[in-house]
Amino acid sequence: MSHAREDEGTPTPPASTPEERLTHSVEQAVVQAIFGGNAVARRRFMQYVGASSAMAIIRTVFPLDTAIALAQEQGKGIEKKELTVSFIPITCATPIIMAEPMGFYARHGLNVTVRRASGWAMIRDWAINKEVDATHMLSPMPLSISLGAGSPAVPFLMPAVENLNGQAITLHLKHKQVKGPQDMKGFRFCVPFDYSMHNYLLRYYLAEGGVHPDKDVQIRVVPPPEMVANLKAGNVDGYLAPDPFNQRAVYENAGFIFMLSKDIWDGHPCCAFAVSQEFATTYPQTFLALFKAIVDATHFAAKAENRKAIAEAIAPKNYLNQPVTVLEQVLTGKYADGLGNIKEVPDRIHFDPFPWHSMAVWILTQMKRWKHLEGDVDYQKVAEQVYLAAECNKIAGALGYPVHQHMSTTHTILGKVFDPTQAAAYARSFPIHNL
Amino acid sequence: METPSLDRSLHASRQPLLISLCLLILTLLVWQLATVRPAFQAQGLTAEQLQTLEFNGDIVRNSAGQYAYNPDKTRGIPGPWAVVRKTVEEFSQAFHKHGTNDHGIGHLIRYTVTRFAAGFLSASVVAVCLGVLIGLSRTLYQALNPFIQLLKPISPLAWMPLLLYTVQNPTLTAVCVVFLASLWPTVANTAFGVSNIRKDYLQVASLLQLSWWQRLLRVVLPAAAPAIIAGLRISFGSALVAVVPAEMLLGELGVGYLTWIEWNNLHIAGILFAILVVGAVGVTLDAGFNRLARLVTYTE
Amino acid sequence: MAFLSIERVSKYFPSQEGATGRAGRQETFCVFRDVDLRIEKGEFVTLIGHSGCGKSTLLNIVAGFEQASSGGVILDGKEVTSPGLDRMVVFQSFALMPWLSAAENVRLAVRAAHPTWASGQVGTEAQKYLDMMGLKGAEQKKPAFLSGGMRQRVGLARAFAVQPKVLLLDEPFAQIDALTRGVIQEELVRMWSETQHTVFMVTHDVDEAILLSDRIALMTNGPEARLTESFAVDIPRPRTRETMIDTDTYTRLRNHILHFLMRGSHVFSGMQ
Repeated sequence: MSHAREDEGTPTPPASTPEERLTHSVEQAVVQAIFGGNAVARRRFMQYVGASSAMAIIRTVFPLDTAIALAQEQGKGIEKKELTVSFIPITCATPIIMAEPMGFYARHGLNVTVRRASGWAMIRDWAINKEVDATHMLSPMPLSISLGAGSPAVPFLMPAVENLNGQAITLHLKHKQVKGPQDMKGFRFCVPFDYSMHNYLLRYYLAEGGVHPDKDVQIRVVPPPEMVANLKAGNVDGYLAPDPFNQRAVYENAGFIFMLSKDIWDGHPCCAFAVSQEFATTYPQTFLALFKAIVDATHFAAKAENRKAIAEAIAPKNYLNQPVTVLEQVLTGKYADGLGNIKEVPDRIHFDPFPWHSMAVWILTQMKRWKHLEGDVDYQKVAEQVYLAAECNKIAGALGYPVHQHMSTTHTILGKVFDPTQAAAYARSFPIHNL
Repeated sequence: METPSLDRSLHASRQPLLISLCLLILTLLVWQLATVRPAFQAQGLTAEQLQTLEFNGDIVRNSAGQYAYNPDKTRGIPGPWAVVRKTVEEFSQAFHKHGTNDHGIGHLIRYTVTRFAAGFLSASVVAVCLGVLIGLSRTLYQALNPFIQLLKPISPLAWMPLLLYTVQNPTLTAVCVVFLASLWPTVANTAFGVSNIRKDYLQVASLLQLSWWQRLLRVVLPAAAPAIIAGLRISFGSALVAVVPAEMLLGELGVGYLTWIEWNNLHIAGILFAILVVGAVGVTLDAGFNRLARLVTYTE
Repeated sequence: MAFLSIERVSKYFPSQEGATGRAGRQETFCVFRDVDLRIEKGEFVTLIGHSGCGKSTLLNIVAGFEQASSGGVILDGKEVTSPGLDRMVVFQSFALMPWLSAAENVRLAVRAAHPTWASGQVGTEAQKYLDMMGLKGAEQKKPAFLSGGMRQRVGLARAFAVQPKVLLLDEPFAQIDALTRGVIQEELVRMWSETQHTVFMVTHDVDEAILLSDRIALMTNGPEARLTESFAVDIPRPRTRETMIDTDTYTRLRNHILHFLMRGSHVFSGMQ
């Protein structure tokens, strides 16, 4: 999972204020424009005259200050400073949650309160009824809500992916001898929501093992916070759930971690940050600031050295309400697996905001496969409408983070390659389906 | 001599209290002893095993590097002392607000009681009016009775998804659930009380040529008051029973919500605490109700 | 023209059971037929009969609680069909509002009779009648805390307090113990002699009727009860129980009435 750095600018100076960062971005943009993309020439110029002199020289021929002032003006044009963002208390929402106590929202001029919901249906209802301004969602949800599957059709946008990986299949301790899908026939599973990566990954995994997810096993919807209690009570045999509920099951001696979702699809998207199209068009400056805050927070969370601090910040009752040790194990990747072993998997959960269009296309093919979608859908068109890959790129670039050249790529799931350009054929290529 | 019988009666009145206290103390002692654990022994465990135990929160390491059982994590039901500690902890932060999702127990009680009061009081007004109308008119009673019989047994929680869909506001939905739970017992009892007023009272009212309104206020309502209060009592219990799950399902902050959150986190001490709080709130409100009832009861 | 005229009043009820073997025909049940009684202003008239002869029903018709099947009741020139303050009733079961004190019960009635009066005036008037019935000191008590005798005193005070044209007494002392009964009866006589109300009472207590009334009417047993005779009680007033029982007239009247009652539904001709 690597992304090439297509362009290089000087890195953002550390510990900078919003104004300084904005100034830096504008300077970079002007320099780029002057050298017309000739990176070699640009670098040689900078090395020759030194960065600050370069800026002084440029100022003589270009109204840099005006440009900076204009850019700063934009930042001040936030229409709505007091915002609410809803979340489910899972580690997937780490960037959304940590942005409050760690000041990322404040840094971009916003006063955001994060509001905890107890289930995905509530998240959906709050979002549709405009009880909140932006929300944590499962990555299929912006697609399903925009298409009107399982809810009234309201156009939603997904500017950023919250996290990659970060889930696992956890089984009850009495199933220690299970080796693969064939041993899971007759099991009762639960997933957080019908339109979730958890559901689609679980179904994919079971189907690849020759088990039909609707005929040979039961899959129920249970809100994530209730999953551990249900497992402990023996109501379910296992689940594919977001963390921290896999680690929590180990903590509570209720289950063991059978398989990380990373081992199904390394780099799969999980949760998303979403806003309604109405919000983005009514409050464009606010939306922009929010988008920046999220991208900022996501990149901060991506760095391994920050993970421990983040675990402490989001553990309290007001956020995830979990013991710190559980969150640390999830975020640092050094964890007890419930079978007596200690494992080290640093990418157990990863954060990268870029919403690949190809991810959306994969989700749509699976929705079609399991009949969550009726009728024919132009996969590429819908993906582009909902997943704002280009915008995310722009923001990331403006904040000095690496950007991507392409909006789509191929993905490998359980050893099988998915090519987004062959989406329709892919959706029909499976022996086990509901079509 | 009066003194010996006086002593005996005093003794008799204190006996039940003493027995209750003894029972309580005995139960608590047995409960506490059943949950006592010996100190943690680190010998014979490998570093990896210790690490696993620490990761699972079973043991904690103090600053001196020594291991002990984690007091915040119990297997099975915690002892009463854990519940006491939890109670002290919660009440010391009773009115704090650590962010939108974590309000102190004082606030939570206030939310629950407010929600409950809004639903119960509005339902009571509507129910008494409806009950009086039905009780006074035989035709109306027969016309409305089938609907009432149909709607009465439906659990108010079953209405919740429909309410949420139409009302869309979770706070208002919670109030509506309490409203529906409090409606039917009061309607039934009020109608019964009104239609079963002793004929002579009504005859006196007609002799005195009281207007319809005066008859209602001066004779019908006071005469039916004990039945109305009885109905309100039942509704009250019903509403209290409904507000807790309504909060759980709607994610509205409150005491019911607290119970659910603690269950999700398998904090048994927290669940016991939440149960105690719900019980205490119920008992307090019920006592207030008794006062009210005593004001309007009369003996024939 | 009598003050209160009960003119050929009959009462029929639809029968509970239909006639056997005859489907679709509704039998009616006749309680009493062609009852005719004239009461002059200021007279105290008592109706005596066995239980079930319909005397309470007749009183209810006069009070306006029930309708006559045929015939009518005329009070002071106007026909009466519904209850009103002009015909106040004293009930066998006292019918006091148990949530109101004795004083409040009487005040309720006074207020109803004089809607425009100020509350002070209402209170004073109520107190007057309470005192007249010997209830001074017990006004604040609720009926549950009063003995049967006291309760009926309140009932009487209430009835007098509205100053009705006619007082209707429905076996008023039947639920009071024998000893208290005597005391209240004498008080009633005293009250009545002062106020001179027109009174119509129904009872099955012979001594009470002789003590209190100017005239007694006798009703046969039901069904199809009839009012067969009425005669004056010519024992001079003021009457007390003690003085009365030694007179010949008392003994004569009493025996006559008892014979009538014991013979039941026979039409008894004799005195008058």
